Amino acid sequence: MATGRSSVPPDVASRLAGKRAIRSYARKLADPEDIKDLNITPMMDMMTIILVFLLKSFTSSATLINLDQNLSLPPSMTQLAPKQAVPVTITKRVLLVEGEAVAPINNGRIDPQLKRDGDNGYYITPLVELLSKVARREKRVAEVTGQKFDGELTIIADKRTPYRLLTEVLYSCGQAEYANYRLLVLKSRE
Amino acid sequence: MRRMREKFEEAEEETGEINLVPYMDIVTNIIIFLLASVINQVPLGTVNVSSPTFGAGGAGDNADKPALNLTVTVGISGFTLAGSGGVMPPIPKLPTGDYDYNALTAKLTEIKKQFSDETKATFNADAVTPYDTVVKTLDAMRYYKDEKEQREKVLFPDVVFAAGIL
Repeated sequence: MATGRSSVPPDVASRLAGKRAIRSYARKLADPEDIKDLNITPMMDMMTIILVFLLKSFTSSATLINLDQNLSLPPSMTQLAPKQAVPVTITKRVLLVEGEAVAPINNGRIDPQLKRDGDNGYYITPLVELLSKVARREKRVAEVTGQKFDGELTIIADKRTPYRLLTEVLYSCGQAEYANYRLLVLKSRE
Repeated sequence: MRRMREKFEEAEEETGEINLVPYMDIVTNIIIFLLASVINQVPLGTVNVSSPTFGAGGAGDNADKPALNLTVTVGISGFTLAGSGGVMPPIPKLPTGDYDYNALTAKLTEIKKQFSDETKATFNADAVTPYDTVVKTLDAMRYYKDEKEQREKVLFPDVVFAAGIL
């Protein structure tokens, strides 16, 4: 065997050695237990695409709300999707504008001291004051961006809210130049 | 040959490979978080209403055609419908105590047949009417299902809340 190999010319021997090296490398590659570095580029491509898609769908939902025992939305057959607008939330215990507490609610009533005209009044003073500020800000934004101020509000109300309280809130919103309301509901088929 | 290999290895060390493992950890975590929050989202919709606008009717109103001025009122005992022509007989509650939304839709469908261009209606309710009932009544006022044509038809979707309450 050794004599046979010694008879091979040197250039052929180096070529054979090269082929052997290639074969051993190919075997190494084919051996699944011996993978040294996994090519994760396609997986990363895929993950980045999924990330972008999920981020987009996460941010496109106009209103994010926390439903709990104090705020459960009524079901409705409407098919209209929510739009970005200033949210006014009426829970069982508190009235909020953009997540900021405006007035407490006790048994479906606002404290008469917070109303301009007392118990029978509709004008909820802190709500009008805060919404007027928001309206001024929105108008400035609309001016800068060249859009029209549409005076739209999203009303997120608990399903047990009495109509009287709803009317008081809507009247106060109207005083702050908001006249179009989107009542947020749960979509249902029945 | 060895020199060449050394040169190649040196070049590889200089440029190096970016360590993508921390990036992948972050991305995977964000994906899991986003997936969880997307799955938990409830299907939300909106019902459009507007507050009353005071003043004279628009200039484009048809003078020869009488306005309907439909008003739907939710009372304690049931629904009351009123228009320019007068007040219709009330729609009482069902024996179960629920409001009869189907009867309301049927009545409004009859009115719609006579005033096919009208889409506006005024809504009013008793002070203690829960918001749930308000939304259901608005649903009953908006569309009806045409059994013959098997599709939904518009009733009075432009709802205006009345200035006062009962």
